[in-house]
Amino acid sequence: MNEEKLTKLLNDLADATAEPVRPGLSEDIKQQIPQRLSPHKAGTDTIHIVINLRISKLAAAAVIIITILLCAGLFGGREWTSDGIVDSIKDSLAWLGAGRADVLAVRSKYEDLVRQGRHVVFYGDNIAPGDNSAILMHLKLPDGKYRVVFGDGTTAIVNAEELIELHSRMLLKKTK
Amino acid sequence: MAKKAKLTEQKTGFAHPISGQGDADKKEKYLDQLRDSLAARLRAGDHAAAGEFVDMYNEQIFLFMRRLGHDRQVSEDLTQESFLQAWQHISQLRNGKALNGWLYRIASNVSKLYWRKHKGREMASIEGIGIDAPENSEAGGDIVEHYEQLGRLKSAVACLPEKLRQAVVLHYMQHLTIAEAAQAAGVREGTFKSRLNRALETLRKQVL
Repeated sequence: MNEEKLTKLLNDLADATAEPVRPGLSEDIKQQIPQRLSPHKAGTDTIHIVINLRISKLAAAAVIIITILLCAGLFGGREWTSDGIVDSIKDSLAWLGAGRADVLAVRSKYEDLVRQGRHVVFYGDNIAPGDNSAILMHLKLPDGKYRVVFGDGTTAIVNAEELIELHSRMLLKKTK
Repeated sequence: MAKKAKLTEQKTGFAHPISGQGDADKKEKYLDQLRDSLAARLRAGDHAAAGEFVDMYNEQIFLFMRRLGHDRQVSEDLTQESFLQAWQHISQLRNGKALNGWLYRIASNVSKLYWRKHKGREMASIEGIGIDAPENSEAGGDIVEHYEQLGRLKSAVACLPEKLRQAVVLHYMQHLTIAEAAQAAGVREGTFKSRLNRALETLRKQVL
């Protein structure tokens, strides 16, 4: 009885506290309607679906990252085993960590050298992440030798034959 | 009988009494269709739909702001701000069913931001909205008592903590369903019901 009475009183209170709105308010608001309302952004759907499922934003971020990692494992030709997934995660973390920063720094150097018209080749897009002995870039020096930059950031000056040998080793590693 | 009425209320989730269930169902179905169509047109960027949307909701949002404790001028500003935010977040509107919850959620956030920015500002509260007993001396004692109760209830609602007050306003005064009100408050339905129960308990102690 009490609950019903209270509900009724609250409804009556709602009616009693209903004030008239200033007549011009609606027109004022309409004048602020943008000429072009933002269209539906399809790209944000996934994020909104996850958030609408009332998962916290942190959990949503974790779900998205794990999905990306799993997809990377699937399309990267990794074995679909737990080891494969773990490797994939480790690799991705390595790319996101210091290793990736080195690659980016070398790439930026490579772009500078290209602009200077130097004979330089960048391999950073194709090497395995975290492979310290892989060649990131080689630069032809005026004396015919090559300066090679490795995945761990170290450099070495080699001649043409040694360069070919290094590349052969890299290819062998990749095929394994 | 009372139990049956309560069950019906829980099923529909409405706070206001429904007279003819058949008519109410038809009306609700029609409103659902209207909201669906409006939401679809808004999502497509239809300018005319935005105008209809303003006509449909500006009064509700203004009253919502008033009942949350803002004075008339601020309520008008916040109503305008709520619609501005709505235009900007139109891509987040899913469908017609979510229309109420979506707009009230935006309005709640706009109000919350206002209070955060103006911490020292005193609440106009619904205390400022007048409820006067009829001056007619012939008014019966019951009516006078009813108005006294309304007055006490008004003060009690104004004294509720912000979240409980918001729950009462959304469900009992703005007549949102539990699902819509929970969406507007940004909580799960269970949490919202719990807030509502706590609010009712407090009000019952103070008013009845």
